[in-house]
Amino acid sequence: MSIQIQNVSRAFGTFQALKDISIDIESGELIALLGPSGSGKTTLLRILAGLEGLDEGAILFDGQNITNVSPKERGVGFVFQHYALFRHMTVFDNVAYGLKVRPRKTRPSKDEINKKVRDLLALVKLDNFADRYPAQLSGGQRQRVALARALAVEPKVLLLDEPFGALDAKVRKELRRWLRKLHNEFHVTSIFVTHDQEEALDVANRIIVMNNGKIEQVGTPEEVYEHPNSPFVYDFLGNVNLFRGRLHKGKLTQGQFEIDVPTYLDSHYEVVGYVRPHDIQIEKNQLNNESVAAKIVHIHMVGPVVQIELKREDVDEYLEAEIPKEHYKKLGIKNGDTVFIKPKQLKVFVPEDFSI
Amino acid sequence: MTKPLNVEHDSPSIAGHGATKSYAMQESMIVKWSLIAISLVFLALFLILPLVSIFVTALEKGWATYVASITDPDALAAIKLTLTVVLIVVPLNAIFGIVAAWAITKFSFKGKNVLITLIDLPFAVSPVIAGLVFILLFGAQGLFGEWLFQNDIKIVFALPGIVIATMFVTFPFVARELIPLMQMQGITEEEASISLGASGWKTFFLVTLPNIKWGLLYGLILCNARTIGEFGAVSVVSGHIRGMTNTMPLHIEILYNEYQFTAAFAVASLMSILAIITIIIKNFIEWKAKDE
Repeated sequence: MSIQIQNVSRAFGTFQALKDISIDIESGELIALLGPSGSGKTTLLRILAGLEGLDEGAILFDGQNITNVSPKERGVGFVFQHYALFRHMTVFDNVAYGLKVRPRKTRPSKDEINKKVRDLLALVKLDNFADRYPAQLSGGQRQRVALARALAVEPKVLLLDEPFGALDAKVRKELRRWLRKLHNEFHVTSIFVTHDQEEALDVANRIIVMNNGKIEQVGTPEEVYEHPNSPFVYDFLGNVNLFRGRLHKGKLTQGQFEIDVPTYLDSHYEVVGYVRPHDIQIEKNQLNNESVAAKIVHIHMVGPVVQIELKREDVDEYLEAEIPKEHYKKLGIKNGDTVFIKPKQLKVFVPEDFSI
Repeated sequence: MTKPLNVEHDSPSIAGHGATKSYAMQESMIVKWSLIAISLVFLALFLILPLVSIFVTALEKGWATYVASITDPDALAAIKLTLTVVLIVVPLNAIFGIVAAWAITKFSFKGKNVLITLIDLPFAVSPVIAGLVFILLFGAQGLFGEWLFQNDIKIVFALPGIVIATMFVTFPFVARELIPLMQMQGITEEEASISLGASGWKTFFLVTLPNIKWGLLYGLILCNARTIGEFGAVSVVSGHIRGMTNTMPLHIEILYNEYQFTAAFAVASLMSILAIITIIIKNFIEWKAKDE
């Protein structure tokens, strides 16, 4: 089912949680709502489920305005952050709940309910846990029960609030992969809220980056990671190094240091260049004034990528670089060495849209 | 060379640690047993002794007298009236208690704190004053007295007055028990239920009620005990009409004032039995709730 969110605003007292949000979501998408806490992502999700009202705007499901439809009638599967399993019911009864509470006319027979619940429990690999109570399950198992319960009512939209937030790293990764697989099988339009950029990049087909109740950027994981449209998105999606300086005729200058930024031909007194750690090149000798001297402060060498922390010698600023282990070995550098660094790719933001 | 040195260094600290520990334990044992002894003596003097004396006095003149005093028509009428009041007050307080706790914990609205304070009011006000308030409202000279008289509705010196006064006094028990419980449980299970397509009623009966059942029962037990035993408020509004508006505590008082000690204690022993049963049920519920 497609979803249109049209000019939605919501305030809690004086706090404006959402400001004029509009998004079109196509049927079958797997969307991540990504943002820091307080960015309005959970509010937006709850508005879609009908658990929260909105002050202005409209929500359309398949072109139909459902803004005033009660959550009971929306046909939305909601997975709560802390699962909200019914604590006095077994796993089986939790999953069967949505089917059992249907009015008699639309309620499946007892056998049908049984079969459906068993199938779902098999899908979430909890066949042997049907008679357990939520308190007897681990976090990951509870999460899967919550998913099975939401899927039992065959929702047209699946909404997940921080679905992996309360789990440990390994279980989280497993469930992430599993959610994507599930989505590939069912093709139900799914939206999940997360504050973890890695999770969003890993799972979603499209990411909506939110900040302060507004949408910062919408795009595929590659788009938002490679081409952030604002300093906020740049900073929120991964580590970043800042190069402050002056922009003049396509060159960013800061003291001795000068880099070509041919896409910016206008002049600004003060701009900030953003560089991802893996876009920083390290050399032992200075080639030209496009590189700057820095001292190695710390080398972190776990995994195929070596993380190097550096302190610039011209200004009192720290930088982070990531280079492949092979390249690191070839360079033969160690803690305390002075090296020369050069940004391979740099994105410049002028102060007008500077918001962090 | 290092090894023995290590041992030497370690062992005194262990010994020292052990000594402090056992000394601390010794002291706490004395405190523990003296506290237990004080509690037991207190309980024996102020609770068990009076309770035993009730039964001793009640059976002083033999079993036949005991049975005669509790099967006396006035006594039976008092027992019946008390049970009638229980049957009306306890279910009504269950409903009002749930409604008030629900309103306070699941919604946010202005004046919530005022409502919480009002729920506590009966605990703060003396029952006698509560009774007097209802006399002032519904009595012959009261605010609604004339209107009630014209429409031939009897409230004070009749069952409705006793019910109203008892409800006032026992109102906080259920609500007070439920509010912290429901606050702790939050509303996400209810939200989950609604989003799964359940109606409000189904959500209440299938999700909310099972979650609060032990707390609710506990509140009801306390409410029940107080309803049976309420004296002050009921005394003011009842009018003490024998065989008509006398509840058990009022009946006991009348018998006692008439120097019918055996009969008074016989009815009192019945009430004591009800109290003991209540305590047993209460403990069972606590044990069961803990178990879940």
